[in-house]
Amino acid sequence: MSINLRLLLLFFALILFLITTYILKKGRIPEKYSILWYFIALVIFLVSVIPNVIIKFSNHLGFEVMSNLIIGIMLVLLTFLTMALTVIISGQKKKITLLIQEISLLKAEIKNEKKEK
Amino acid sequence: MKKKVLIIIPAYNEEENILKTYKTILEYNKKNSQKYDAIVINDCSQDNTSKICRENNIPVIDLVHNLGIGGAVQTGYKYAYNNNYDIAVQFDGDGQHDVDYVKNIIDPIIKEEADMTIGSRFIGNKSVFKSSFARRCGIKIISIVMKLVTGKKIYDTTSGFRAVNKNIIKDFAISYPIEYPEPITTTEILKKKYTIKEIAVSMNEREGGVSSIRTWKKAYYMINITIALLIIGIRRYKKCP
Repeated sequence: MSINLRLLLLFFALILFLITTYILKKGRIPEKYSILWYFIALVIFLVSVIPNVIIKFSNHLGFEVMSNLIIGIMLVLLTFLTMALTVIISGQKKKITLLIQEISLLKAEIKNEKKEK
Repeated sequence: MKKKVLIIIPAYNEEENILKTYKTILEYNKKNSQKYDAIVINDCSQDNTSKICRENNIPVIDLVHNLGIGGAVQTGYKYAYNNNYDIAVQFDGDGQHDVDYVKNIIDPIIKEEADMTIGSRFIGNKSVFKSSFARRCGIKIISIVMKLVTGKKIYDTTSGFRAVNKNIIKDFAISYPIEYPEPITTTEILKKKYTIKEIAVSMNEREGGVSSIRTWKKAYYMINITIALLIIGIRRYKKCP
């Protein structure tokens, strides 16, 4: 792996680490979601520091170029991440619907009571 | 003993029709001993639907945010459940449905012949208006998928003119699909071994407003509904009490 690519990966790992720490510090995500991002940053860091392991691994799996393996792993990871997000969003949509309904029912009830008085 | 009957009228931008629809119910109540209560669920309309309801003393629940047809109708079922209604009737606010047929569709429920009834355009020949050819094909396909999943034949799968008993009011208050509620709930109800009866009714063409299903969404709708129904087929449901 060229030294340039390794530096780029190192840089990327560092940025990912800093962004994760920043949004965590600001309280924008709960700690449990940060684990994944720290883990990804760590993996990228390890690849840039000791590339021989991953090169051997990708040869073993039959990838022609090592970068294909990385892109492949990323793609699988992102697919699952998106699916997990869809599940989370759908759950929240349900909760929001429930809230809108209950608030609307309460509001109507209060208005009726006022009218009766 | 007379049953407590609630007519749920979901309304989205129905300022032209809502008063007319409500007046037909009032007129019916004047002439008959079985009275109907009505509640309009205003799904955050941008027009004067809410204002017209308040000015004319029409009972209304204004949703604080737009929820779509499923969320709006479910609010009505929650209201029915909270206020201990025996029968809830779903009724469109756009003049498509005729209040005189409410009697027909709640009758089997009062006699406990069915847990749910569907006002159908496709059985008997009461209804002159039977919808466009494309729409009929869609309804037919849904009907076939439903038969595949539940073994029961329902003809008017997308009819929004329905009545349910107390058990189903509770079920609906707890869980109701947000999108494509009619075919999905019908299939779920059948899977739970409730009984459904289709009743011949006449429907009018829409007098105003826009249908909730737009043309360019039809293919998407069909794919969605087919997946939804097939999934219900492999899901397990507890039998009804």
